[in-house]
Amino acid sequence: MLKDIIRKEIVETITSPKFVFTFLLCAVLILLSVYTGITNYSSERKEFNAAVALNKKNLESQPSYQALAGLGTKINRPPQVLSAIASGVDEAVGRVATVNVAYDPNLVDSKYESNPVFSVFGALDLTFIVKIVLSLFAILFTYDAIVGEKERGTLKLTLSNKVPRDRLILGKVIGGYISLLIPLIIPLILSLLILMVYPDIHLTGGDWGRLLLMFLVFFLYLSVFFTLGLFVSARTNKSSTSFLILLFIWVVFVTVIPKVSVMAAAQIKPIPSVHEITSKKDAFLQQVQGGAQKKVMDWVKENSPKPGEDQKAFQDKFKKFLEDYQQDLTSQIDANNAALERDYQAKKRAQQNLAINLSRISPASALTFSTMSLARTGLDENQRFLDSIRAYKPIFTKWANAKMMSNIDFTGGGATAKVVLDDMPLHSFENESLSKSLARTIPDVVLMAVLIIVFFVGAYVSFLKYDVR
Amino acid sequence: MLETQNLTKIYEDGRLAVDHLTMKVEPGEIFCMFGANGAGKTTTINLFLNFIPPTEGTALIEGIDVVREPLRSKEYVSFVSENVMLYGNFTAIQNLDYFTKLAGKRGLTKADYAAVLQSVGLQKDAYDARSKTYSKGMRQKLGLAIAIIKDAPNVILDEPTSGLDPKSGQEFLKLLTAMRDKGKSVLISTHDIFRAKLIADRVGFMKNGKLGLLMTRKELEGKDLTELYVQYMDERD
Repeated sequence: MLKDIIRKEIVETITSPKFVFTFLLCAVLILLSVYTGITNYSSERKEFNAAVALNKKNLESQPSYQALAGLGTKINRPPQVLSAIASGVDEAVGRVATVNVAYDPNLVDSKYESNPVFSVFGALDLTFIVKIVLSLFAILFTYDAIVGEKERGTLKLTLSNKVPRDRLILGKVIGGYISLLIPLIIPLILSLLILMVYPDIHLTGGDWGRLLLMFLVFFLYLSVFFTLGLFVSARTNKSSTSFLILLFIWVVFVTVIPKVSVMAAAQIKPIPSVHEITSKKDAFLQQVQGGAQKKVMDWVKENSPKPGEDQKAFQDKFKKFLEDYQQDLTSQIDANNAALERDYQAKKRAQQNLAINLSRISPASALTFSTMSLARTGLDENQRFLDSIRAYKPIFTKWANAKMMSNIDFTGGGATAKVVLDDMPLHSFENESLSKSLARTIPDVVLMAVLIIVFFVGAYVSFLKYDVR
Repeated sequence: MLETQNLTKIYEDGRLAVDHLTMKVEPGEIFCMFGANGAGKTTTINLFLNFIPPTEGTALIEGIDVVREPLRSKEYVSFVSENVMLYGNFTAIQNLDYFTKLAGKRGLTKADYAAVLQSVGLQKDAYDARSKTYSKGMRQKLGLAIAIIKDAPNVILDEPTSGLDPKSGQEFLKLLTAMRDKGKSVLISTHDIFRAKLIADRVGFMKNGKLGLLMTRKELEGKDLTELYVQYMDERD
């Protein structure tokens, strides 16, 4: 009997006009989003390679180490291949950071900065399609699952037979869910094929694992709305009422909670502005520079060679002093900036975590966070990348200072040695491992699973007591 | 046999819908229940089908208490509701096939279904058409086909002829008579006094949850049922 009920649910749905509409729309949107994601990734990868080559060329063409230290090296954020599926914050955060001896590095030049119109509408990635469009379809498939049968009179007719209610609801859940997945699975399989054959996309074994996990998260997310639809359908007496309630909950889940959470977090845990931090850094820099001039003058006064003393020895000593003092000053500046930055970042992270945790009540946020983590396009991955640049800054500075000082030519009036980059330390960044990404998705997955269980049990219990008249 | 003993239903809002009802529909009998809207006819049917629990008393199908053994009792009853829409995207054959399986019958072929559909007078070209394109009469015939194919010893019909055109109504009555002739107990809730008079073996008038003025076919002969109905309602008021 269960098999008959499941079969009926599937056949009834796939022969309906709404299924044809859903299937066509799903196919177009999913394939379009994946294709757009792939072409975006492909062009970003080309831009990245060009930027890295250009940076190397720029550094090599610098007339001196002093010029190189001032200009600094540019670190470009490599695009993530899975951004084709979940672009996350990739387009909103900066893509390049300049590391030089003077300033704290920061990622700038985001895609949204270059073209603000993108930020108005956001990216049309697969996560967006699932979050907005397919969740609506899940509602469309379930809002009248029970109440609709009541309105048509088929529920009374069904239950006038030897049909246990628990089996009927189970059959409706299984059959309905399969019907919902059919229009989704076929375009998803086609998308995977595109990813496999597209020349610029090279997925590793780990990437495939991440991709499959992302698809699982998509199914979980849709299950939340599917079971919610059944639950509301089993609690109402009119399908129009059921649809309105579901639409209201959808709006709250998908748009209101995420936005309100961010606003609430900003009120509860305010953070200083970036300008405030920058002015504090500048003030310290000026203070240090002012003191430095005096200290150099004092040193020269104290250590100037007396007539007849060795000028060369003085110059070597002065060079050594300058090199040590420069390193010392840079360390002081770096330490101060790092302390300010640490404090700012800690406050920012606390605010960010609060916003994330508040918004997690919404399955739409849970979907966004978990897919971003799996695609390595989330806030954490961006922060890790920025941290790696900040950790690289003192290494680069030390190297640049050492090069500058060792190449000062007091006799020729400046630093003119040819720039050689062979021993320049390179920035390195390890992508997050799958196990770590997975660990970060656990709260979101658990939350969605809890919602599914709550809604399913709610629908089940409600249907057992449902007034079929 | 359909039977109630002291059956009572008081809704949560305190409304008394069925008031200590005791009645029987014997095998090979068509019993028609009349009454105004809200008189308790549909509530009685809902109690028979265990869609709602009784406040007091019992409803029995083939001697089985519908509350104690709801699933077993439903093996012995077919139900035809008023204006059933069925599954609109299914054809008549698909609807019939699904409900036949729910009724626990297996192994029936398309030819079997066609034979039943023919017996209820559904046009052949409608067998494979989606039921959402059907008229009300066609849907009622399909509903009756579902009841026929279940072949339960008891049949309950809730306003089965409302909205049917005269020809469809007449055909419908013939089918009900055929069921009665096969020894089934047929309980009909209806406002359709004229058609009911043609087939009823017994009638009863329901008001305020009570069944009164029970009359057999013989007692009805030569009497104006409409007048009886109006008089009864007035008397009680």
